[in-house]
Parts: sequence; structure tokens; C-alpha cells
Amino acid sequence: MLCLETKNLTHHFSSGEPVLRAISLQVAEGSIYGFLGPNGAGKTTTLRLVLGLLARQQGEIGIFGKPFHSHRVDILRKVGSLIESPSFYAQLTAKENLAVMQRLYRCPEANIPRALQLVGLGNTGKKKAGRFSLGMKQRLGIAMALLNDPSLLILDEPTNGLDPAGMVEMRELLKTLNREHGVTILVSSHLLVEVEKLATHVGIISKGALVFQGTLQELMDRRSSLVAFDTDDPAKALRIAEQQQLPACLENGRLIISPAPKETVVALNRRLVQENVGVYEISGMKNDLETIFMNLTSE
Amino acid sequence: MQLVHSFQSEWLKKKRSAASWLVLIGGLLIPLILMIAQFAKPEAAQAENASGHGWEILLHRSWQFMGIFLLPLGVIMATGLVTQLEFRNNAWKHVLTLPQKLSTVFVAKLALILVMLLQCILLFNIGIYLAGALPALLLSEVPYPPEPFPIALFLERSALFFLDCLPIVALQYLLGLQFRNFLVPFGAGIVLFVASMIAINWEYGYTVPYTYCPLNVIGSNEGMSAPIHWWAAGYAAVFFIAAYVLFITRKEKS
Repeated sequence: MLCLETKNLTHHFSSGEPVLRAISLQVAEGSIYGFLGPNGAGKTTTLRLVLGLLARQQGEIGIFGKPFHSHRVDILRKVGSLIESPSFYAQLTAKENLAVMQRLYRCPEANIPRALQLVGLGNTGKKKAGRFSLGMKQRLGIAMALLNDPSLLILDEPTNGLDPAGMVEMRELLKTLNREHGVTILVSSHLLVEVEKLATHVGIISKGALVFQGTLQELMDRRSSLVAFDTDDPAKALRIAEQQQLPACLENGRLIISPAPKETVVALNRRLVQENVGVYEISGMKNDLETIFMNLTSE
Repeated sequence: MQLVHSFQSEWLKKKRSAASWLVLIGGLLIPLILMIAQFAKPEAAQAENASGHGWEILLHRSWQFMGIFLLPLGVIMATGLVTQLEFRNNAWKHVLTLPQKLSTVFVAKLALILVMLLQCILLFNIGIYLAGALPALLLSEVPYPPEPFPIALFLERSALFFLDCLPIVALQYLLGLQFRNFLVPFGAGIVLFVASMIAINWEYGYTVPYTYCPLNVIGSNEGMSAPIHWWAAGYAAVFFIAAYVLFITRKEKS
């Protein structure tokens, strides 16, 4: 069952050029959906539309199976969010900031210390939020997003400003929330490594279009097998491969050809030997996720 | 019920904010100055209090300073500071993803400004009372005003000044919600305030929306024929509606 779904979400800013083109996100209930894309790809715009911070122009947004525009308040009661930098009132303490929201969510007051404890801000006392470090501010933003025990958590680049240890803690916290409390999490990032370590599902956006959507495993399965030929004359080997009309390139002095049937590999090897090219080794290799991501986002 | 919770949330936000300090200072400044003047020149206070119109004279003098200058400027600043609380803290995006209707957000924030204005006027009235009572209690030569405290007059003047402020609140609220840069609403407010100061001597000065507080002062001095309070109410209604429509229909909410 889908927790969040968008259908053909398209958005233009006043300049006219569409910044989102028919985005159809499908975030399954109970998943951690990593929304991945380079800076400026449209991640934040999508999330702002999903939360109603931008007026919808074209397309549909549904959360918990209900259209967002007609059930906005009911839906937001069960959603926690952190969009871009965290928002808080600098002159208030962490506890007071959460109290501002607690009134609106009408959740128990006990949620305040619990949320602060969860993100490691339980002992900030009377310190004003404006005096917090960048990492503490980010944690406060997360605490605010968790205050109402949300069923869906929407986080835009939540590890921004966190040190490596903080990033690991944040990842573990999100995994725990997902695993133990069943919270569905939509988290955007431009860091592939982060998403790879956290997400169960992935959506990749590039230049305003969704270029991949599926489970992390499906993305992994896209890692195509390449074949590398280690030869004594790589340039000649490349020429021969091209004569055979095989997609090929040289990498670290080795001839790399794209996935090909075993017969093709055998035929190329035979041809190389016939042309007096010495072949030391033929080995298989896999694309890493980074290459897949780069390929998807540069197409 | 939602509105009550939204208002409580807005009330918490203003804690330790510049706007809340402004209310306190704005409400007590004039009475404090007048009280210091009474202590400095007790013979004047003595004469006024003995006249049988001591409270009335003090009330009139206090509103004269407050109504012409401090109240309009204070309202311009306080309204801007309340709306700036969200812009400065980058918090609009957060406020608008909380479970409350946009109309509730609009009304709760406006209610906060109006309650702060009432708070300021209440403090001002308490200050006036203290400015009249304390010199009489602490200085033997100053008598306590013999006439009964004119509570009805205090309430009437306060209510009319409150009403006369509403066009300023409404237009400043409209501008404050629309512009991220504090200088825009504040600058526009100052320009309109200066324009109103020039316009109060003009025959049709009552058509300028920021003139009603100073005209109220002048009116109580000289007698005013134009129904300025109706004009104030009319302008306030128009500006509040415009502010609401612009806020609700804004394409980019934060």
C-alpha cells in the first residue's frame, strides 16, 4: 500500500521553464524512500509541493490514500517534516520551541522531553536555540519533526550540518523509527552513499524528471556486468573491438566492453589473438552505484 | 478550538521577542515621563489635582503624547516584528506544514497583534493611574484627586484609540505578511505616518488611513466634525480583507 503518491506532478516557476516534469512518486508504507538527485534537480521543489508549501499547478498528490488539497489538516496531523534548514524561534529554548508545536498537534506534553532525548538534546536546559551549533539546530529540527509521532516523515537533506558521527547517529535513528515504530520515511539527499546505507526504496530525479524509481535492490541489479581485456596492445585491441561494432573503451590500459553474450567475448578473444594481440587476462567487472547514478542523471 | 490552540502557540512564540518588550515599554513610557515630571514639579501637580479635574487633565495629556506619536509608531513596529518572527527564523515553511488551516494561521497571528495592542493600552491606563496616584501618595504637598476616578472616560478613550489604530494594524499586517524584508513594511509605515502628520491639517485629512489617532487627539481638543472612527473601521475592514485574500492565495507559501 502506498503512503504517499504523486501523479504527473509538473511545476513551473515564473521564468516558464518547467522545474518538475510529470513526477510520479510512489512511496510504499513502511519504507525508507531515498529521494536522490544532484543539487538543483527538483528534490526540494517536489517536497515543498507535497507539503503544500507551493501551490499545485498540475498533477495529483495523495497521502495516506487521501488527496492532499482536500484533507490538508488531517494529513499534516500525521506528518513530520524538515524542509531545507531547520525552522525554530531563536529566542526560545529547545523545549519552548517544541511547546509551540505541541499546542498545535495537541499531543501529550510528555512527547517534548521524549523527542529531545531521542535526538540528544535532552540536556540543553535554558540555552536559547539561536545559540545552538549547526548540528544541534539540525537535531532540533528533527525533534520538531518527530514530536507528533508521525506516520510519515519527510526530511529534506537531514544530515546537512552534521559531523560524520552525527550522520551515523541520524541514520541509526531513522532506521530505528522505521523498524520499531513503522514510520514511513521520505528522505532527500544528494549523497548516494547516505541513501545506499539507509533506504529501502530509491527515486532518482534529474533535471526535474524522475529517471529511476524502485527498490534499492532493483537499482543494484542495474549494475551491469562489463568485461575487461588485459592485453599487450590496448589501442589495437580497441580498434579491433570497434571493427566488431562492440561498445568499447579503454580504462586503466584495459579494454572494457559492455555486457555481451559469452559467444561475443569468445569471438573477440579469438580475433585479438589472430591479429597478434597478446591477451593476458579476461575478467568480469561490475558498475558501482555511483556510475549508475551518474549515468542516470547525465542522460 | 483550533483557533485557541493556534493562538496559544502564537502567544508562546512571542516570549522574549522584541515585540513583547515593545508592548511593555510603549505602554509605560509616557506615564513614566509624566510621573517623573510630577515629582520634578509638584506645584503643577498640586494645582491640577486640586482643580477637581485632575484625572481628566492627566488622561488627556497622556493620550496627547501617546496618540499623536507613540501609538501609531509602536503599532507599525510591533506588527512588523510579529510577522518578522516567522521570516527572520525562516519559520513560515514550518508554520504552514502544521495541522492548522491557513485562515486559522492568519486569524491567530492577527489576534496576537490585537491582544498585544490591548495589553499596551491596558498598561498605559495602569501607568496613567499610577502617574496620578503615586505623587499624591508619596509627596505630602500633592493632594489625591478628590473626584471619583473616571473609569468610563478611560475606557471610552481607550476603545476609540484602539479603533483608530486598526487601519494601521491592518495595512502593516498586510505588508508584513507579504514582504520578507522588514524594511518594506516598516518603511511604508513611516512614509504613511509622515504623510498623515502632514495631512492632519488638510480639510480632507481624515481620508488618509494613518491619521485617525492624531485626529482623535485633535478632535478631543477642538471638536471634530468628520466621523473619523467610522472611517477607521471602514479602512480597517478593507485592509483586513485584502490582507486575508493575499495571504490565502499566495502561490509560494513560504
